[in-house]
Amino acid sequence: MNIVKSTILTAACAAVLAFTGSNYAMADEPESFKIGAVLPFSGPYGIIGKGMKQGAELAIEMRGGKVLGKPVEVTWEDSETKPQPAVQKATRLISSGAQMIFGAASSASTAALQGITEQRKIPLLVTISADDKITRKNGYRYTFRTSNTLGMEIRMALEFTKAAGLKKVYGVGADYAVTRDGWDAYKAAAEAAGVEIVGVDYPPLGNRDYSVIIDKISKTDADGVILIVTGSDGVTFLKQAGQAGLGKNKVLFGPVLQDEVLAAAVGPDAIGAASGVRYHYSLDNPANKAFVEAYRAKYNEWPDSFAGEAFDGMSWFLDAVDSTNSWDREEWVKAFEGSVRENSVEGRKEMRACDHQALQVGLWGVVEKGEAPYPDLKMKITNIFQPEVLFPECEE
Amino acid sequence: MSTIVIGLSMGMLLFLLAAGLTLIFGMLRVINFAHGSLYMLGAYLAFQMVNVTGNFWAGLVAAPIIAAAIGALMERVALRPVYNRDHVYQLLLTFGFILVLDEAVRIIWGLEYKQMYPPELFAGAIEMFGSSVPSYRLFIIGFGAAVSAALFFILDRSRYGMIIRAASGDPEMVRTLGINVSLVRTGVFSFGAGLAALGGAVAGPLFPIELGMGFNIIIDSFIVVIIGGLGNIRGAVLAALLIGMTRALGYSYAPSWVDFLTFILLIGTLILRPEGLFSRKGRTA
Amino acid sequence: MNAQRLMALIVAIVISVPLMFPEGHSIGMVNAILIWSIFAIGFDLVFGVAGMLSFGHAAFFGVGAYTLSLLTMRMGWDFLPALGAAGVIGGALALVFSYFAIRVSGLFFALLTLALSQLIYIMAGTKLRMLTGGVDGIAGVPRPDLFGIDFYDDGNYYFFLLALFVLALLISGLIRISPLGQALKAIKSNEVRAEQIGFNVQRLQRSVFTISGIYAGVSGGLLASLIFYVGPQMLHWSTSGDVVIMVLLGGMGTLFGPILGVAIFEIMREWLSTQTSHWYGILGLIFIISTIGMPKGIAGLIQQLWNRIMPGGKS
Repeated sequence: MNIVKSTILTAACAAVLAFTGSNYAMADEPESFKIGAVLPFSGPYGIIGKGMKQGAELAIEMRGGKVLGKPVEVTWEDSETKPQPAVQKATRLISSGAQMIFGAASSASTAALQGITEQRKIPLLVTISADDKITRKNGYRYTFRTSNTLGMEIRMALEFTKAAGLKKVYGVGADYAVTRDGWDAYKAAAEAAGVEIVGVDYPPLGNRDYSVIIDKISKTDADGVILIVTGSDGVTFLKQAGQAGLGKNKVLFGPVLQDEVLAAAVGPDAIGAASGVRYHYSLDNPANKAFVEAYRAKYNEWPDSFAGEAFDGMSWFLDAVDSTNSWDREEWVKAFEGSVRENSVEGRKEMRACDHQALQVGLWGVVEKGEAPYPDLKMKITNIFQPEVLFPECEE
Repeated sequence: MSTIVIGLSMGMLLFLLAAGLTLIFGMLRVINFAHGSLYMLGAYLAFQMVNVTGNFWAGLVAAPIIAAAIGALMERVALRPVYNRDHVYQLLLTFGFILVLDEAVRIIWGLEYKQMYPPELFAGAIEMFGSSVPSYRLFIIGFGAAVSAALFFILDRSRYGMIIRAASGDPEMVRTLGINVSLVRTGVFSFGAGLAALGGAVAGPLFPIELGMGFNIIIDSFIVVIIGGLGNIRGAVLAALLIGMTRALGYSYAPSWVDFLTFILLIGTLILRPEGLFSRKGRTA
Repeated sequence: MNAQRLMALIVAIVISVPLMFPEGHSIGMVNAILIWSIFAIGFDLVFGVAGMLSFGHAAFFGVGAYTLSLLTMRMGWDFLPALGAAGVIGGALALVFSYFAIRVSGLFFALLTLALSQLIYIMAGTKLRMLTGGVDGIAGVPRPDLFGIDFYDDGNYYFFLLALFVLALLISGLIRISPLGQALKAIKSNEVRAEQIGFNVQRLQRSVFTISGIYAGVSGGLLASLIFYVGPQMLHWSTSGDVVIMVLLGGMGTLFGPILGVAIFEIMREWLSTQTSHWYGILGLIFIISTIGMPKGIAGLIQQLWNRIMPGGKS
């Protein structure tokens, strides 16, 4: 092929491309609304991905599968609970036209995803990761969190301490930055409220033997033990505490200590443990009743907190998108900022414009024995704390 | 005082977790990375047995037997073809086992946590030295001591132990004596797999039974084996007790440094005596 | 043409996919392949050439990533000097490791390096949290800012990575044929004899271990900038396991084999994981079968096929 020919060919190609390109610019309306979901499906966190997927799918189904008059198309990708695959897959989803990213589960993966979504100006919907840093003032323009923050859950634990009339508290926190900050905040506020702090221990994250610490605590006169640990660590502690009878004369509680999945892992020793609850199917409001009914009809199980939060966040976000009547993502961001959802499954939620964190009530519950059709161990919601006491002013 | 009892139980538990690893290394010169997965499998199997029969002891017996059968299969199908290659290949094969075993457990039991409880007999707590020590911890001390004694007897004193040691030292010689070395190797690997599962079954009532649990203990087991001297049962017991005691003291005074204390022991050992603190012979690999 | 060249051709095709299909969605994956290949090429200098199985390379990889992130984000360094520092720190840590580990050999060496790197992992997650961000890691790691090119575009970043990849490959090829490489091969085949000939075995091993640490540090820094994030997961021993699997799958001790292994691993992760959530188990099966059936990896397989098709042709 000589130079002239190839030049003509290139020019022709360019013209065709330019034409189709301009065509797109005019229409600017894709065939479908593409959502890229990056959630853990393999590995130990797979259970979180499963619940989130079911909740989000139901949210889309209950709106007729459409947004902006176009069908919603979700691509589910496995993050393996690791940052590298999460980012890699989100990158691919975005380059194949995803309009938003939904995920991830662990705070580390979510933080990693924020890098790419901010860069590409794609909205990121977070409905589980609780690290406070994910939403902060002047932080991430395209990140929205509709679920709890750890800071808010710590404040719930403080409110509970006061409400339960605990006078002397012992602290146990997994040894990492977020929990240490949480403990410092709790300690200062609790002492201001007249609660005596008896002691604190920081066993490593992923610790497997708490027996010495449990023995130590049992010898103090503390009437409450706050456990700033999550997941398996909390299960291990409660199992071993139960075997030593620690819960007999001390209240065991924590910001994210228990839900029904974790209580089932502990067994009867979990009864009496109190914890912040992200979402619960027993909440008495019309939106939640409709959701729980639909969920049970579709999946034949009670929605867990991952499913409930995912359903709520996804419904809310898509409503916000619909309200703009536009395919301009900047419009979506503006619409979501400051939007209020009166009928969320957890009551009123407000997306704060300054940091993109949803203000909401905080649920607090205690593990009790359940009867069919409920699970053997269920959370009973004992307190609902108002957003005013849970969310401080917007912080950087 | 109660700290010492708890430390003893932590040490014995560590020994039970690491015994299979040390056995397989000592006799076959294979570092079994899948040890953690077999341990996890043991916990799930025990859970399943307890669920079916309602009896803790049934789980404690059945889990190791089933895992031993699986171990025998792994050895026959995968390890046997690579014994005459570099040790690296055997290690890497066991690495592949991790992925397959973990996937199998996920397919069979799903993602939810499973749980099991101490047997009736050891359900409560006993008051001693002014604290209430869970009696299951005392059971672990006794059981660990019994297992270590049995292993010591089998490997050091019995005819089987002699054959096994001879087969690992000089397979050709043993073969000419008319002993089936392949069978001995299968037996040892299978026995080690059973021990790993036994560790899992014993640990079941203490920890959540979940998919990641094997990953968590493998490093601990390695540390026991290195400090004890690779493949040395007596050393493994002493090392496990040393680590257990160190950790128990660590938990009472500086819990956030517990992992470091363990590593300080490890690195100290490596600098002073790379062949292991409790090793009688020189280094083995 | 020989088998070696055939492999080079396959590698060239894999890494030039983004050039052929600039609008494709493979670019993110190819970028990851380039970065992991640098890691794997360096790892194979220790594993394939010198015959030392290290389970500690995650430490150099992760420390490189943290070095780049901290220097660019906290100290305001430019990207390239920070990347150089990532290599230097990775190499320095490898040198430190080698003083502990090279005294022993074989499986002891593997366990020792594993233990040391796990210590670094624990430190990064807890005690060094002021520096490392603890278990949550550090988000927002930058990419280079050179010649006014927007490297935040993956298509542009590809060329930056490609250049480094080619450089890494060239250096590795030179090391292999250099006296150092030859000496290491001699040590691998017979350590005692090599010592008798007069090689300073430990010093040679230490050198190659350090070089390999530099490779790991640079690639770790690059990965952090690719995914805009660094966290302790990169330091975990399973990262070392991943690179071992990649190199063995591709063919240890060959120049191009490790790259093929990386490519297979990443393609499986991308493709198989969308097909089935059981893909890790399938990967395990493939790994077991190929360890038994093709001990020399894909490179060995290609060599074998080549010899069959072209009998008499020696590579």
